[in-house]
Amino acid sequence: MKRLIGFQTLVWREIVRFFTVAIQTLLPPLVSSFLYIFVFGLSIGKSLGDLKGVSYLHFMLPGMIMMYVVESSYQNASSSLFISRWANYIEELLVTPLSYTEMVFAIIFGGLVRSLLIATGVFAVSSLFVQLPWAHPFFVFYFLILVSLTFSCLGLVVALVAEEFEHLSIATTFLITPLVFLGGVFHSIEMLPPKLQTITALNPIFYMINGLRYSFLGVSDAPIYRSLLVVGVLFISLFSFTVYLFRSGYKLRK
Amino acid sequence: MLAVEIKNLSKFYGKFQALNHLSFEVKEGDFFGFLGPNGAGKTTAIRALTGLANFTEGEVRVFGHDVTREYRKSRSLIGLVPQEFNFDPFFSAEWILRLEGGYFGMPSKAAKVRAEELLRMLNLWEKRGQDYKKLSGGMKRRLLIARALMHRPKLLILDEPTAGVDIELRFELWEFLKKLNQEGTTIILTTHYIEEAEQLCNTIGVIHEGRMLTVEKKTDLVQKVYHGEIELELKQVLEKIPSELMALGASFDSATRRLKLMQSNGALNKALKILVNTGIEIEKVEVHEPKLEEAFLKLIREKKA
Repeated sequence: MKRLIGFQTLVWREIVRFFTVAIQTLLPPLVSSFLYIFVFGLSIGKSLGDLKGVSYLHFMLPGMIMMYVVESSYQNASSSLFISRWANYIEELLVTPLSYTEMVFAIIFGGLVRSLLIATGVFAVSSLFVQLPWAHPFFVFYFLILVSLTFSCLGLVVALVAEEFEHLSIATTFLITPLVFLGGVFHSIEMLPPKLQTITALNPIFYMINGLRYSFLGVSDAPIYRSLLVVGVLFISLFSFTVYLFRSGYKLRK
Repeated sequence: MLAVEIKNLSKFYGKFQALNHLSFEVKEGDFFGFLGPNGAGKTTAIRALTGLANFTEGEVRVFGHDVTREYRKSRSLIGLVPQEFNFDPFFSAEWILRLEGGYFGMPSKAAKVRAEELLRMLNLWEKRGQDYKKLSGGMKRRLLIARALMHRPKLLILDEPTAGVDIELRFELWEFLKKLNQEGTTIILTTHYIEEAEQLCNTIGVIHEGRMLTVEKKTDLVQKVYHGEIELELKQVLEKIPSELMALGASFDSATRRLKLMQSNGALNKALKILVNTGIEIEKVEVHEPKLEEAFLKLIREKKA
């Protein structure tokens, strides 16, 4: 039990950290999700009719929840680690007897808590307008949890590579946001010409969005087994790589 | 039991070799002064010991535990007071300590009790709820020490603990550290204030250009390198130094009328007898006790020459 205390303490620190800046970390997704639902779901979406047998609002909601999960978990882990490197209090942690796996897991667990809170909040906002059927509840949690942990790991890797704060947002602007939007939050792959469909199939976030869409609605652009596999393999690879970087001391132990 | 064993430790920063086959040991219960000029490798060695730096070659053990292979065990035995303030800015002074306790596996209640004990002991209790950035320099130093002591480490490492601290607080911290050492904590201290090492340490290690020049008991080192000096100011100018005084290695400066001789057993007694017997009057006697500072400077100068 004693062994778990260090891990629990670090998880607790991570949660307190994002709660102390809740106005920046928890509230913005709730406001912007309301705006997306209002503009795309209730206004423009009305004229689009059904998509894959469900209303447009139903269609876009799982993608939107996944978008916030991806962004918030990445932001949480990357800013937590980068600030601690930048202000040097990462050293406070590095001299403790926590194992490197525990350090990584505790920080990404903080990202998981933040993104699950946001997902719950967005879900609650959407419930004011429409009810999502939970077609496959177990898969809902599989995708939310593993995608959040995966992007938290990505956040840690970028926070290690980054030398300045703006490097963190470069990854968001040029990699994550484009992949999220092109991954089909607001559109179905069927709306695209065949060549673009093939390119989209190379985007890992496409499988995350469609995995969650299948889990909630039972419809999807990607086969569920492929979504499950892509997400599982990505998580295991990125987690192992992140632990490897911590263990090797990359940019941590000078 | 050895608290620290460092064997052949080498570390490069690019092409610059910060540590060059550094080897030394620190015995359990010792108060070890780690001295050396700026850039000699003191902080790098400490960083290798505590897990803050990788090293190229060598072996480092803390109470028998290898710091790379058994890092969890070795780190649980060390408390580090770093040179720079590196507190988590999201938390108050009290919570900085409680979190530290948690990282080292202390249950929440025990960490709370220990944090209160240390905050009171180091006169920080009134400031427990404050953001550390609002504390004065001296308070931040004390908070660093409190943080390092949370988990009752067997080895406390202090890297320049009194830099920028006023004299009164420095003396207070000295007393605190002496007591801690008497209670059984092994202490390694790096400092620029040689007086500090002289006051506190039993053993002195002098590092220069990444190598250990010497590790000795403070008293031995001081005696061996610098013997001290006796100066006698005479009432008159000596035409010629009496031969018995010459035998004691005496020299005379006519301008200041000062007779200087090396301090050794009975040297002062002999010199006084000789001078009195030859009717030479003495105005003033000064004995310069051997000082660590002189020993240290002499060692470093010899190495540079």
